[in-house]
Amino acid sequence: MLVKRRSKDATRSGLAAFAQNVAAKPVDRRSFLRTSGLAVGGLAAFGAVGATTVRRAEAGQTDFSQPVEVKTNICTHCSVGCTVKAEVQNGVWVGQEPAWDSPINRGTHCAKGASVRELVHGDRRLKYPMKKENGEWVRISWDQAIDEIGDKMLDIREKNGADSAYLLGSAKFSNEGAYLFRKFAAFWGTNNVDHQARICHSTTVAGVANTWGYGAMTNSYNDIRNSKTIIFMGSNAAEAHPVSLQHILTGKETNRANVIVIDPRFTRTAAHATDYIRMRPGTDIAIIWGIMWHIFENDWQDQEYIDQRVWGMDQIREAVKAYPPEVVERISGISGPELRRVAETFATQGPATFIWCMGGTQHTVGTANVRTYCNLLLATGNVGADGTGANIFRGHCNVQGATDFGLDIGSLPCYYGLSEGGWRHWSRVWDVPYEYLQARFDEVPAKGGRDARDRKANMQMAGIPSTRWFDAATLDAEDVDQRDNIKAMIVFGHGGNTVPRMGDSLKGMNALDLLVVADPHPTTFAALHDRPDNTYLLPISTQFECDGSRTASNRSVQWGEKVVEPIFESDNDYAVIYRLSQKLGFADEMFKPYDMVQGKFSMEPTAESILREINRGGWSTGYTGQSPERIKAHMANQDKFDLVTLRAPADAEDVGGDFYGLPWPCWGTPEFGHPGTHILYNPNVAVKDGGGGFRPRFGLDREGETLLAEGSYPPGSEIEDGYPQFTYGILQSLGWDADLTADELATIQRIGNNDPEAMASVSWSLDLSGGIQRVAIEHGCVPFGNGKARAVAWNLPDPIPVHREPIYSPRPDLVAEYPTREDGRQFRVPNIGHSIQASAVDRNLADSFPIVLTSGRLVEYEGGGEETRSNPWLAELQQDMFVEINPTDAAARGITDGGWVWVNGPENDSKARVKALVTERVASGVAFMPFHFAGWFQGEDQRGNYPEGTDPIVLGESVNTVTSYGYDPVTGMHEGKVTLCQISAA
Amino acid sequence: MNMKTLAQRLAAVVGVVTMLGFVSINFAPSAQAQQINPTAQSVTEDSLFEALQGDQMVEGRVSIPDGLSSGLIKPGNASWASTHSGLVRNLSIAAVVGAIVVLALFYMIRGKIMVDGKLSGIRILRFTAIERFAHWLMAGSFIILAITGLNLVVGRTLILPWLGEGAFSTLTVWGKVAHNYVGWAFMLGLILSFLVWVSHNIPNKVDAEWVAQGGGLLKKGVHPPAKKFNAGQKVIFWATTLGGAALSFTGFMMLFPMLAGTQADWQFYQLIHGIVAGGLSFIIIAHIYIGSIGMEGAFDAMGSGEVDLNWAKEHHSLWVEEVQGKADPASSASKGTQPAE
Amino acid sequence: MARMKFLCDADRCIECNACVTACKNEHEVPWGINRRRVVTINDGLPGERSVSMACMHCTDAPCAAVCPVDCFYTTDDAVVLHSKDTCIGCGYCFYACPFGAPQYPKVGNFGTRGKMDKCTYCAGGPEADMTEAEYVKYGSNRLAEGKLPLCAEMCSTKSLLAGDGDIIAEIYKERVVTRGYGSGAWGWRTAYGEAVTV
Repeated sequence: MLVKRRSKDATRSGLAAFAQNVAAKPVDRRSFLRTSGLAVGGLAAFGAVGATTVRRAEAGQTDFSQPVEVKTNICTHCSVGCTVKAEVQNGVWVGQEPAWDSPINRGTHCAKGASVRELVHGDRRLKYPMKKENGEWVRISWDQAIDEIGDKMLDIREKNGADSAYLLGSAKFSNEGAYLFRKFAAFWGTNNVDHQARICHSTTVAGVANTWGYGAMTNSYNDIRNSKTIIFMGSNAAEAHPVSLQHILTGKETNRANVIVIDPRFTRTAAHATDYIRMRPGTDIAIIWGIMWHIFENDWQDQEYIDQRVWGMDQIREAVKAYPPEVVERISGISGPELRRVAETFATQGPATFIWCMGGTQHTVGTANVRTYCNLLLATGNVGADGTGANIFRGHCNVQGATDFGLDIGSLPCYYGLSEGGWRHWSRVWDVPYEYLQARFDEVPAKGGRDARDRKANMQMAGIPSTRWFDAATLDAEDVDQRDNIKAMIVFGHGGNTVPRMGDSLKGMNALDLLVVADPHPTTFAALHDRPDNTYLLPISTQFECDGSRTASNRSVQWGEKVVEPIFESDNDYAVIYRLSQKLGFADEMFKPYDMVQGKFSMEPTAESILREINRGGWSTGYTGQSPERIKAHMANQDKFDLVTLRAPADAEDVGGDFYGLPWPCWGTPEFGHPGTHILYNPNVAVKDGGGGFRPRFGLDREGETLLAEGSYPPGSEIEDGYPQFTYGILQSLGWDADLTADELATIQRIGNNDPEAMASVSWSLDLSGGIQRVAIEHGCVPFGNGKARAVAWNLPDPIPVHREPIYSPRPDLVAEYPTREDGRQFRVPNIGHSIQASAVDRNLADSFPIVLTSGRLVEYEGGGEETRSNPWLAELQQDMFVEINPTDAAARGITDGGWVWVNGPENDSKARVKALVTERVASGVAFMPFHFAGWFQGEDQRGNYPEGTDPIVLGESVNTVTSYGYDPVTGMHEGKVTLCQISAA
Repeated sequence: MNMKTLAQRLAAVVGVVTMLGFVSINFAPSAQAQQINPTAQSVTEDSLFEALQGDQMVEGRVSIPDGLSSGLIKPGNASWASTHSGLVRNLSIAAVVGAIVVLALFYMIRGKIMVDGKLSGIRILRFTAIERFAHWLMAGSFIILAITGLNLVVGRTLILPWLGEGAFSTLTVWGKVAHNYVGWAFMLGLILSFLVWVSHNIPNKVDAEWVAQGGGLLKKGVHPPAKKFNAGQKVIFWATTLGGAALSFTGFMMLFPMLAGTQADWQFYQLIHGIVAGGLSFIIIAHIYIGSIGMEGAFDAMGSGEVDLNWAKEHHSLWVEEVQGKADPASSASKGTQPAE
Repeated sequence: MARMKFLCDADRCIECNACVTACKNEHEVPWGINRRRVVTINDGLPGERSVSMACMHCTDAPCAAVCPVDCFYTTDDAVVLHSKDTCIGCGYCFYACPFGAPQYPKVGNFGTRGKMDKCTYCAGGPEADMTEAEYVKYGSNRLAEGKLPLCAEMCSTKSLLAGDGDIIAEIYKERVVTRGYGSGAWGWRTAYGEAVTV
């Protein structure tokens, strides 16, 4: 194809070669690498790049004489779930090729996905276990690390109790890793187990699940191609979920769809909107109620839908009368006509979808925000059909899966509650006595005026959220509602800079007796503090170095194949959790269901056998049909799935009729062959094709009105109305129990102890045989029932959400009218937000801190950023932490674009030294900082705190140094999006 | 930021009117526009070019710290490229070839200019060692610079086909090194010659007479009076001084691009450098001609430094009077044979 | 023969920088060398647009016109490549390029920039196809493998198109018709002397 030009002069005389050296060095790729770091990058810290990048260069080129193996895995960054095709030669990942067949990304990536190969070359990775000795990092062996950590944990268990060890897990775990870690916490005996969902979508899960059943994205990225109107509120998908924009922008073009962005910041997403509306941060409820005011005022609501499928909308209709245009404009800054336009478009130009992210969730009113979004969707009939839905874009590659598997202080895997029933269910699946698990938990003495708790009560009590662990470590022990303070943090794959109040978090770290960081990179948890000892770093491999499944935001489960062996001395989560449990003495019970194989340093369970256990227990969420074999078949047959419907044709081999990734709920056993559920709560298709209704989980009636659906049911349903969840008793009363096989009946009898009454209450979610689900579906019914969504969640604070000013509000005048909720206690610790808000108003804080500070993502980095800031291909693109400030505010302060500034926070004299990015992206009076940076603290460069050679290339101040107090009462979500600050030239 | 385009600067400075036609308008984004559909009304390349016109670059924001990378499209660069590879290359060729042709014609018509009288055999000191050092430092370095510089502009057309790519590349690398370092020697020579000769090169009334008589070059036997330097030499002095200064300054900026300012500034310096070098080459070739084969006895002035008295009287009568008025000519003269300049 | 071109549909570009890191990944491009970059026009204002830019492989490339050693050449696919063996690192091409494509290992004084590096359209250099010598100097040669540049292949929103100029112009025109407005084929007028009109 190509014509090669003159190849003469290939050999050059000595003189010529010398001449080249004198004048313009012949720069081959390797000498580029050797010399360019310091000279061009200008980063003093980049010094150590030399020797190691050369290795990468050698790995990077493809020697065409060697066989190339192609491995398929999933990007480890955001939740879109892009397939990664890795070319491997001799055990080295040498190239990345587009994964054309994936219906999700169709070959494409964002900056992060296109550079994941670097992760397993990992110059800056943690290379071997380390510990701190007299303030110095020293290398230790895995054996020594596990031994010492185990001894200290057992010691703390003895002295302070099991609850004193906090097990912080990760959204970077595979499903199997997340599940294993949750199980590990159960066997250890604590509910203090959490992960990143706490700080991203915990309020979404709570708000959505309390509205219609499950806390997850209802449709898929691909389905947005069907939408006619798309609202992004508090979501900057162009930077946070770039590949999703492929579907959204195509949909926008083909449908000439309306794309409306409501955000305080003119984001990269807003640049592609057809309508951008700027709002004051933290006023979502007023805005949504304002939109609904117009909808009801003009009768744009979908009354039939409401009548059939929603309970309590009339109460909302009354409530939004308190939010007429002038009130909303006063609160949010958005004019009546603007909102009317949005309301009319959204209500009348369907199908319409509503997308939100951290801009909606990270608030003291996060759960309430989410419920208003749901109400807008319900009022306009936009849930449960193509092109509609609550499209909640989740953050991390497996935050959906980690949430599903109960890395959560308040639930067990697959959303089984902490009640006795939930525990008993999992003890049956795990094949251990319920009493064994109960005995692992602490007894909590009476203190602080509170009653004592026995083991059973403690077992059923939600733990401490990850946003508050440091308060639980530093508060007076009387104020912490468990046996003792938090004394040990066992942190698997979680940054320390993504939660506000880092100054307090630092105090918490220093107060601990034990700190273990198990991560591919030393995170802020390893570098922020100055602990002299009792601090351990365990090198964990990435998901590219182990097998396992992960669940994308749209609930599709995808299998990641090990690309290369764990690099350096790192090891995978399964092995490390196994070795810790061995040391702690419960490995035999915990690991008995699994196939154990020889791993890198020890025995480890296979991911497949863990997933099979999940399949045996995950009935409530429909995690039972996704066997390893089926998921692997999907990965091998990606090209069979339709781009929009995500469904394979019925005649496709191995995957016929399935939805891609068997999005949960995938009912029944794998053999039952349910295709998964592309769109939740969709009564337009049969249950066996992924249809369903809303989940009636809040009772059968309320205030004399039914909570079951009226006249809405999926096609083929033998019950042509609403109905409650299926139990053996209901099957009996319908006469469908005869359809159960003998084996299925035997299982139900075993669960019900052969007691007819107990057997009658065995439900679709407890029946380990899957028989009840199978029979219900074969009769066209949804196992969980067919109910109404709740517009009003009577069990939550503010059953009907009301606008509440942020803790640190720039509008003290509105605080009196719309104060935050009263102080209280949640999750074992006090929440004194109201006192802090009142004090801020009393002290006229808004005068000295006049700028609202909000935060968000950059496309190049992810989460706490250690991994991505260590990747030179990404780090080069964002070399400095910055604050976005409006030109007016900058001019008033003598701040120039690119100049250094101090950002001062409202608490504890906090401050951060960052570069100014003077831009119209933010309005006057609002500033924005990305949250991926760490390694500087209040002006001090902490590069020396990292073990040598593991410091990320780019360091910078963390926004959470200056963010402040504020917690959602329902989930403990922090207020990450609104605080006050002052900015001055440095 | 200076928004002048390269073309305007050129037009202003060297009067290259052919480059005109570019108009500079400061681009102000239409931020205030009321947005209903930001997408459909988004900025397009064509609308930006319409707003910008001419060579203005389309500029935006980049996150990498390389400031130069924020320019998205810089049509001015292509203009520079076409000026460089067109006008400057042609001028350079025209200067060299033109000078040779003109001088060859002159030689054919006028022949070598001989001393009218006989050589006296008496020699007087015309240039001291320092003067000669300054001259030859400048002359030698200029020749190297001219050849290596010319090579960068026309070498690929004239030499590359003969030498082949590799050898030509090697040659050019060395040429580039030589050009970059010999430039400093040229600057030193330039400063020295300026210091020692500036007082003799102030134009005066005598020069008018000299010019009126065509310098005596055109007709045999005509010898207008002149001091140490006649008007022709003064032209060379000032051309060398000013041209050399321009070359030094622009060359310095090209060597230190960080000091040169914007890309457009550098391009401006580069074009000035090329055009001045072409012009100066023309003058210097003529100078070399008249100082060597063009005129009998001229070379000695810069060779040994001593010239024949009769040669001096014919070409620099006033200077001879001046020198002899100061001292006995016999004592300042010594034995020798050849005149100079 | 195909006439290879790049076309960035600015209505689709979201500045995700996948093109940038895909390039780094594919060719092991070192720190400080940016063969491709994304520039955002009217940042933060209505009408904001991002455009991914690299060497456009111009018709009558200005870089080739000014190169003192004539190290550039155009392949049969109209890809503009250069020989690093011949390059003397003078920097002229950097000043000639309307798109800021030429990159150097350093920006030194005395013209010591090192060998110029730029987008090769994933087509390597003068060395034999898919050899180590070619990879070390220019990166991989996807065109020889029958693939297109990775930046375009991996573009998150399929904004950046690479391939035969007529075909990608057709794809772009179809989009313009579908959505009802254009975004301008950025750089085409400067690089190829034509604009895509619908």
